[in-house]
Amino acid sequence: MRNEMTLERLREIVEAYGASPARWPQGERSMAEALASSSPEAQSLVAEAARFDALLDMAPAEEPSAALTERLMAARPRAVAPLVPARPQKEKGFLRGLLETVWPYGSAAFPAGTLAAALVMGVALGSASDISLSLTGTAVTASTETETGEGLIALAMADQVWPEEWMQ
Amino acid sequence: MNKPSDDELVAAVASGDEAACRALMDRHLTRMLALARRMLGNHADAEEVAQEVFLRVWTHAGRWEPGKAQFGTWLHRVATNLCLDRLRRRRGTEDIDAIPEPASGEPGPDRQLEQRELAARVEAALQNLPERQRAAIVLSHYQGLGNIEAADILGVTVEAVESLLSRARRQLRVALATEKDELLRSREISA
Repeated sequence: MRNEMTLERLREIVEAYGASPARWPQGERSMAEALASSSPEAQSLVAEAARFDALLDMAPAEEPSAALTERLMAARPRAVAPLVPARPQKEKGFLRGLLETVWPYGSAAFPAGTLAAALVMGVALGSASDISLSLTGTAVTASTETETGEGLIALAMADQVWPEEWMQ
Repeated sequence: MNKPSDDELVAAVASGDEAACRALMDRHLTRMLALARRMLGNHADAEEVAQEVFLRVWTHAGRWEPGKAQFGTWLHRVATNLCLDRLRRRRGTEDIDAIPEPASGEPGPDRQLEQRELAARVEAALQNLPERQRAAIVLSHYQGLGNIEAADILGVTVEAVESLLSRARRQLRVALATEKDELLRSREISA
């Protein structure tokens, strides 16, 4: 920033920025304005620049067309409604807190249901194999050997008679 | 009631607020269009640039960081760069007939100048400026930006902006010497 304003510097300012002090460099504005108001030569410089500014201001510029405004409004961002409305958080009970500690991946209904289904399937399978084995003499021995590989093979062979039974 | 700031409007635009979109356009669209018109020299191209500027506002509104930059300065930077890009592309496929003729000058001494004709000559003189000089005078004279803001947008120093402006006005003064006298005469006549 300069500490003084000379006529030469004011000429440079006016020749670059024009006559309006609002466009002059902020740091020099007040000194330049002071000189412009006190010196007749400076006033002449500014008046000459003002005439040229008036000529430049004649360069045409129209208002935006209605079509442009409509196109932009049509393309504006839209508020997106959430697909699932947010539910307020409920107070967690002790049991729910415990469940969330064991299963922190959302609802515990899925693993609980899977566990229950596995239990039911296990019980059903156990009782069904008892019935089938008792009905097929060839595989009776399998009931006492269920822990062995032979037992599993016998169980698989016994499977073959089930459809016929179901058909009866 | 205080008017919402640009930052507040941009945040509302991001959330899909129709009134905020309209308010932001009311505040800035005419100025962006004027900038592009003075840079490009025709209304149709200027509307395309102004549209592109606002489509970018719509797209980036959600990522706008309030306080990081002046929204108005950002708009001017986007619009100026879009115009300079367009002028560079135009240079490659320049149709010599598309360049506005410089002011013809030397009208008869008793000729009453039409305002429209004078305006066309000023526009033609502007279009004949080198692109950087034109951008500097558009930002400073027509858009009323300070030298620091203009330097920031053009990516140069404030001294370079002043130099661009001085050269631009010198060239315009030479190109429009006749028009300046005619303008003065027409004002004297109408006064």
